[in-house]
Amino acid sequence: MLLEIQELTKVYRTGVRANDGITLGIEEGEVFGLLGHNGAGKTTLVNQVVGLARPTSGSIRIDGRDVVADPGLARRLCSFQAQAQVPIDGLTPRQAIDLLGQLRGGSRADVRARRARLVEGLELGEWLDVDAARLSGGVKRLVAFAMAAVVPGRLVMLDEPTNDVDPVRRRLLWQQVRLLADHGSAVLLVTHNVIEAERSVDRLAILDEGRVVAEGTPAALKAVLGAELRLELTLDPAVSEAPASPFGRTAVRIGHRLIVGVPVDAAGQAVAWVESLQRAGAVEEFTLGPATLEDVYVALAGGDPRPTELEEAYDVSAA
Amino acid sequence: MSALRSYVLLVSWQAMRKKAYLPLMMAVQALFTLGIVLGYPLLFPSLDTTYIYLIATGAPAISMVSVGLVALPQTVGEARTEGSLDYMRSLPVPRLAFLFADLTVWLGIVVPGVVLGVLVGAWRFGLELQVSPLVVPAVLLVALTSTCVGYAIASVLPYMVTVIVTQAIVVFVFMFSPLTFLPDKLPGWLAFIHRLLPIQAMGEVTRGTIAPQQFALSPGAWLTLVVWCLLGFGVTYAAMTRRA
Repeated sequence: MLLEIQELTKVYRTGVRANDGITLGIEEGEVFGLLGHNGAGKTTLVNQVVGLARPTSGSIRIDGRDVVADPGLARRLCSFQAQAQVPIDGLTPRQAIDLLGQLRGGSRADVRARRARLVEGLELGEWLDVDAARLSGGVKRLVAFAMAAVVPGRLVMLDEPTNDVDPVRRRLLWQQVRLLADHGSAVLLVTHNVIEAERSVDRLAILDEGRVVAEGTPAALKAVLGAELRLELTLDPAVSEAPASPFGRTAVRIGHRLIVGVPVDAAGQAVAWVESLQRAGAVEEFTLGPATLEDVYVALAGGDPRPTELEEAYDVSAA
Repeated sequence: MSALRSYVLLVSWQAMRKKAYLPLMMAVQALFTLGIVLGYPLLFPSLDTTYIYLIATGAPAISMVSVGLVALPQTVGEARTEGSLDYMRSLPVPRLAFLFADLTVWLGIVVPGVVLGVLVGAWRFGLELQVSPLVVPAVLLVALTSTCVGYAIASVLPYMVTVIVTQAIVVFVFMFSPLTFLPDKLPGWLAFIHRLLPIQAMGEVTRGTIAPQQFALSPGAWLTLVVWCLLGFGVTYAAMTRRA
């Protein structure tokens, strides 16, 4: 394992237990997703890896070396795209990416060559020499990614890299993330965008209230729900109380939508149930399909899902 | 990656970030010193020679103190609040390289105004200044001390408190600090406080090296500055390497 985290616990001075006994590992060449609601402890975890926060207990090793004892080593071994915007107003993307590459120890020629490939891969050419102060949030985010990827560390940590990025360039970004792993980096990807994570990661962990509540490949995690279908209902806005699911599985309401787990052999029964609800005027539309990673996420971390996050995930799936 | 190379790259980063405003900031700093040198005599038309020298040599100190203790902490506090300071702290460069990079850029902004202020002051009042070579270490020490203390203020206090404290410092430096007047004009208790604070010492080493014939240089002033510099440096270093 390139990154090995053992029993990591972080309790802030305010008493908040942000990480609670987290154990996980990431191999070289692997894209590992860290999923969870806001406040689940994802950013606290990466901050401890890169030496911005000190664990209360537990260990973090990169390439077998203790980085809690030597945070300077962590910064050399990791490249990091933080959730906050990078302070590059006044610089052009070309200058910013080259500066970061050289600060990470790359030679001028190597950095230029690598920057050219990233700019081409992310289709950033038209903004290459524009002052970052005039760039949109999404383009700045891509520049921040390129800054983390131009001379990648053994471990590359990306905290919500796709925020504000348009759907087309998101795909380009995911290709570049995969390339980083193909070239031997371990990639730790922090996101609350479940739909994208399902397509992009090799393995993932779901964090809830500072604990890992599930870990595995997307396929393995979906198998947790068994042979399951997802039935999504759009309720009539006049309906105040959601109809109770007759299937005894997870049912989550998000605004006017109700998502219900349905056993595969009960598909016919589900359609009949929905039709009766439609006749009664309680349901406007429905879709029935295979369970997604999101359903697993909602089932495991969804004690109190925040509608905005889930709705964001839905919007992306629609795009 | 050598510390020196990191420092050079960070200076160019900071300078590029500020480049649109650099000429304006330099001009404001120059106006600031010129304002004191040319404006004070308008307020007080009949100044004796001592006061003329005090104003001509105090203006550069006021300019340096106001950048280090006011403008810098506000910028650092803002970077802390928006998260960009943490981003910089995640880079594989020595933590103090940031401090020295900022110091360099601020020196670049403030020094032209200081030089201009001294030259215009000398011309306006017909002074014959015999500037000591010690002016170079003096300016560096004053700038470093005010930068370190300014960084320390921004590192320890919440942003809004930093803004309020630095506003108070402006008033304190301008009106109640013996930079353009001698400390014997102050009430005893305030004069005592100024013997402990670094501001008076900053004025003394600046004027003692710009006009050594008029103002004696006391080793105590250098010592006070070194102590405050180390103190600010220590607090800043602890804050820069601190893990939440």
